[in-house]
Amino acid sequence: MTKIGLEIHCQLTKLESKLFCSCKADYRGFEPNVNICPVCIGLPGSLPILNQKAVEKAVMISMALGCKVPQKIGFFRKNYFYPDLPKSFQITQYNAYGPTSIGYDGKVLIEDKEIRIRRIQLEEDPGRLVYEGSSEKTQITLVDYNRAGTPLVEIVTEPDFETPKQVRLFLNLLADLVENLGVSDPALEGALRVDGNISIDKGNRVEIKNVASFRDMEKALHFEITRQQSLAERNIPIPAETRHWDEGRKITISARSKEEEQDYRYFPEADIPAILIDKTVIERLGKNMPESIISKKERYIKKYGIPLQVAEVLSSDKFYSDLFEQAHNEKNAKEIANLITTDLKGFADTKEQRQQLKLTPKHLSDLADAIMDNKLTRNSGKIALQEIVKTGKLLSEIISSFDLGHVDDESSLSKVINDIFAEEQNAVAEAKNNPDTINYLVGKVMKKTKGKANPSLTLDLIKKKLDAQ
Amino acid sequence: MSLGISATQYHQQVRNESISVEEYVARTLERIQKVEKKVHAFISVNENALSQAKQIDKKLKAKEKVGSCLGMPVSIKDNICTKRMKTTCASKMLEDFVAPYDATVVSRLKSQDVIIIGKTNLDEFAMGATTEFSYFGATRNPWNTDYVPGGSSGGSGVSVSALECLASLGSDTGGSVRSPASFCSVVGLKPTYGMVSRYGLVSFANSIEQIGPLARTVEDVAFILNIISGHDPHDNTTLDNGKPDYTKDLDAGISGKKIGIISEMIGDGIDKDVAAVTNRAVSKLQRLGAECIPISIDSAVHSVAAYYTIASAEASSNLARYDNIRYGYNFDLEGYEFNAYISKARGSFGPEVTRRMLLGAFVLSAGYYGKYYLKAQKVRSLIKSQLDAAFKKVDLLVAPTMPILPFKIGEKIDDPLTLYLLDINTIIANLAGIPAISVPYELAHGLPIGIQFFANAMQEKMLLQAAYALHKTTNLPEVPL
Amino acid sequence: MVKRQEIVRLGDLIKIELKNPGKYVKQVEQIIDYFESLDKLEISSDKMLAQELTLDKLREDKYIPYDEKLVDKLKHTKENFVKAPKMI
Repeated sequence: MTKIGLEIHCQLTKLESKLFCSCKADYRGFEPNVNICPVCIGLPGSLPILNQKAVEKAVMISMALGCKVPQKIGFFRKNYFYPDLPKSFQITQYNAYGPTSIGYDGKVLIEDKEIRIRRIQLEEDPGRLVYEGSSEKTQITLVDYNRAGTPLVEIVTEPDFETPKQVRLFLNLLADLVENLGVSDPALEGALRVDGNISIDKGNRVEIKNVASFRDMEKALHFEITRQQSLAERNIPIPAETRHWDEGRKITISARSKEEEQDYRYFPEADIPAILIDKTVIERLGKNMPESIISKKERYIKKYGIPLQVAEVLSSDKFYSDLFEQAHNEKNAKEIANLITTDLKGFADTKEQRQQLKLTPKHLSDLADAIMDNKLTRNSGKIALQEIVKTGKLLSEIISSFDLGHVDDESSLSKVINDIFAEEQNAVAEAKNNPDTINYLVGKVMKKTKGKANPSLTLDLIKKKLDAQ
Repeated sequence: MSLGISATQYHQQVRNESISVEEYVARTLERIQKVEKKVHAFISVNENALSQAKQIDKKLKAKEKVGSCLGMPVSIKDNICTKRMKTTCASKMLEDFVAPYDATVVSRLKSQDVIIIGKTNLDEFAMGATTEFSYFGATRNPWNTDYVPGGSSGGSGVSVSALECLASLGSDTGGSVRSPASFCSVVGLKPTYGMVSRYGLVSFANSIEQIGPLARTVEDVAFILNIISGHDPHDNTTLDNGKPDYTKDLDAGISGKKIGIISEMIGDGIDKDVAAVTNRAVSKLQRLGAECIPISIDSAVHSVAAYYTIASAEASSNLARYDNIRYGYNFDLEGYEFNAYISKARGSFGPEVTRRMLLGAFVLSAGYYGKYYLKAQKVRSLIKSQLDAAFKKVDLLVAPTMPILPFKIGEKIDDPLTLYLLDINTIIANLAGIPAISVPYELAHGLPIGIQFFANAMQEKMLLQAAYALHKTTNLPEVPL
Repeated sequence: MVKRQEIVRLGDLIKIELKNPGKYVKQVEQIIDYFESLDKLEISSDKMLAQELTLDKLREDKYIPYDEKLVDKLKHTKENFVKAPKMI
C-alpha cells in the first residue's frame, strides 16, 4: 500500500503587501534588496504588524478545503539560523499546544478518495540566497531580502494519497482553487511549491524535496515507487531520508547534507496578539467567497445544458469562466461555452496570449448570436474569431471586410452550384446513387464560396438539382 | 540658574523668559562634562544639542509654535532607537549600529520639541539589575560613587538624579526603571503593558517589557507619559488609552483610598532599614487619609522563577538576529563558513547575556517546554488573577521597591541568582502587565530608598495621584555630586 | 543535573562560541535548580495570559514602499546583495 503525503507552500501573490509589513507581497521584478523595510529585515526594535487580508484569504482557503477554523488563531516562532532568515526565526503557526493555526482537520475528495488535510498555516517566506557556492573557491553567499516576509499559506495533508495521479489531480485542483479565490497566481515562478513524502507497504517514509513543478512531482513519485519497490523485492530496507529530485537525470538522489532533527524551540509570538475569528466573520467571508469550481460546473450543466467535458474545462479556468459569465445569456450560453472551450482555447491558452487578447465579452455574444441566427457559418466564425482576437474590431466590420456573410440567397447559390456541376461531372453522376458524393459536392460549393454558403440550403439545392436531372 | 529644577518649572521659566533654552542646555552640557568621569551615565552625548537649543529659542522669539517640551533636555536609554545617534544596547554586538528610524516614543517627544541630550548606559541588552554588565563599563550611583545605581536603566536613573537632564526614558522588564529610580532617588514609572509603544525598543523580553519615564517629580513623569503613551499602528500590542491628561488632578490626594501592603514583600528577607522606612511610609499614607491593610499575594514567591524562565526564553530568540552580518561590529567574514562565523561573532556577548540565552535555549528545547516555560506562563496567569482579586479589595498596593539598600559595585557580580532575587518586589507588575511606580522616600546611610505603588491595568491616573501625594511629603536633600 | 556537555549543546543550538563552557555550568545549574520550584507546582487551571485583537483592528493590505534605501545602511554588501559567509 503506497502512502503519499504533501506539504504545499502557496504564496499569496495577489495580496498588496507582505504578511507583517507594507512592502510589496509580489517581490518579482525588483532590484535586489529594494523591496525591504526595517520590519522585514528584522532591524533591532522593529515589530511585525499583521496583514488583515492575509488572514481573511487564508481563512477562505481553509474553508474551501473543508477545514475547521479556530475561534482564536495565534502565531509562533520557529527558531533556527540561516542567512535568508533575518530575524533568525520565522513567524509561523504551530498546533502542538492546541489548534491555533488558520485551518485544521479538513478534507478533499480526489477520484472518490478522501484526502485529509492535517493543517493549514499562515507564515512568512524567508529571503533568497541568490548565489550559493559549495566549492572552496566561492567565499561568500549573496542574500536578497526582497522575498523576506512574503505571505505564505502552508497546507499539509495526511499521507492519504495512493497514486501519483491523485497527487497531480489534487495539485491542479489546488492551483485552480487559489486562482479562483483570487489569492495567488499559480503561474508565477515559485508561487506554489510542493514537497512530498512517500512510503510503500508500511516501510520507512522518504521525503522528496526540490521539485520544481507538479508534473515533476508526479514523475518523482513514480520514480520513488519503483526505487522503493525494487529495494523491497531484494529485501533491502528502505532508509528514512530526504531525497532531492534531480531535474536533469530525472531521478531522486539522497540529500548530501544530513538533515537532522532540528530543535526549533517553538514558542508563542508575543508581538502578535491572538486574533479572534468568530462566527460572524466566518459567515461574512463565506458569503464573499467566489463560487467554487464544483458549484460552477454543476450550474453550467444543470442550467444551460452544457455538456460535462465542456463544463469541466470552463469551470476550472477562471479566465474562461469569467468571460463566460460576462458574455452569455440564456439563449446563447451553450454556444458561447462551445466557442470558448473549442475555438478560443487555441488563441488564449498562455498568460501572454491572454494579456494581449483584444476580445471582449460582447464580441463573444455577437459571434454566438450570429452563428445561431445562421448569419455566419461555423467556419466563418472561426475566421472571425481569429481576427477579433488580434484586432478587437466589431464583428459587423469583420464580416463585411472579410466578406464572411452567409451566402443565403438561392439565386447566387444556384449559380455556384451550376458551376460546380459543370466542373465535377463525374461526381455528379456518382452522386445520384452515392450520398457521400453529395457531401463531396457540398464541400466543393463551400470551398468555392470560401465557407460562406449556407450548408443546409446548399444541400437542399444540390439534391433538388440531382433529382431534376 | 539652577539645574535642579523640575521639568514643569523649566517649562514655566522658559515661557516667562527667565531662562533661555540655550542657557539651560549649555549648563546641562557643562554639568555632563563635569560629572561624567565620576558616574559614567552616558554612552553618547548629542553633539548637536546646543544648536538644536538655539533653533528652539529662535522659534520662541519669533512667536512660532513650539512643542510642549520646549527644548527640555531628555536622555534616552541606549536600547531605544534614535536616528543619527548610535543605539548600542551597551553591547559589542551593536557597537556601530545607527538605526535608520526613531522609536515611536522618540518621534513623539521630538514632535514636541524635546532635545535628546544623549543615550544612557545600561546592562547589556537590558539584562541586569546594576548596570555593571555594560560593555562600556559600569555606571555609578551619584549618592555614593562606590555603589551601584540599580539597573538595567542605571544610566537613565543617574542622568536624572545627577542633574544631567530633566527626564529620561528607560525600559522596565523586571524592574529596570523602578530599581534605578529607587537606588538613585528619582521617580520611575513602568506603565501598563501596551500603554507605550515598543516600536524602536530593542526587544529583550517582548511579552513583558515597557518603556517608562524617569524624572525628579511625579508631575514630570505624568507630563512625559502624556506624550509617549497611546495606541501606535507600528506596535500590534499597544492599547487605546483614550489619551487622558495624566497631569490633570494629580493633586487629588488619596483620602478614602484603600491601599494593600503586600505582606510577602515586607517579610524576613528585607533589609532592616528598608523595613523601617516602609513602615514610616505606610503611616504617612494613613495620615494622608488612606486605609492601609495587609494583602497577601502568595504566588509572588514563584515570580522570580517564572519571570526568568519566560524572559530568558524570549531573550534567546530576540537576540538570535545578532549574527553580525547585516549590522554589528567590525569582523570580516571572508574565509569563514556561516555557522562558524556567526558563532564566533556571537561570542562577543557579555557573560550575563550569554547565561540568559543558554537558559532560554534550555527551557525551550524539546522536552522541557511543559516543565518550565508552560508552567511559568501558568504562574503568570495565577499572579494576575491574585492581583485582580486584590484590586477588588483595595485600590492600590504598596511595597518597598527594592528589598535591600544599594550595595557596592562588584559585590554581587559573580552571583547571578542573588542578583535575580533582587527583582522580587518589582517583577509581579511585569508578569501581570500592571503599572507600578517608584517614589523616592528616604535615605539610610546616605543611600536612597524608594516606595513602590501598584495599580490595576490602565489605572495610571490613580497610581500617579498616590505617588504624587506621598512624594509631596518628602524633603530629601540634594544629590551630593 | 546540568553537565558541560549540555552547555556545549546549548551553545551550539544558539550559535554562540563558548570559549570556556565550564564557566557556565555551575551557574546555569544553580538557576535551573531554582526553576525546579515551577515544575513542582500544581496549577489546576490551564489559563494563560494573552492579548487579543479582532480581525477588523488589523493592518490594511496596502503597498507602501519604504522611503529610504536601506541596503546602503547595512554592513556587508556587494552590488546591493547582502554578503553572508559561505554555506557548506
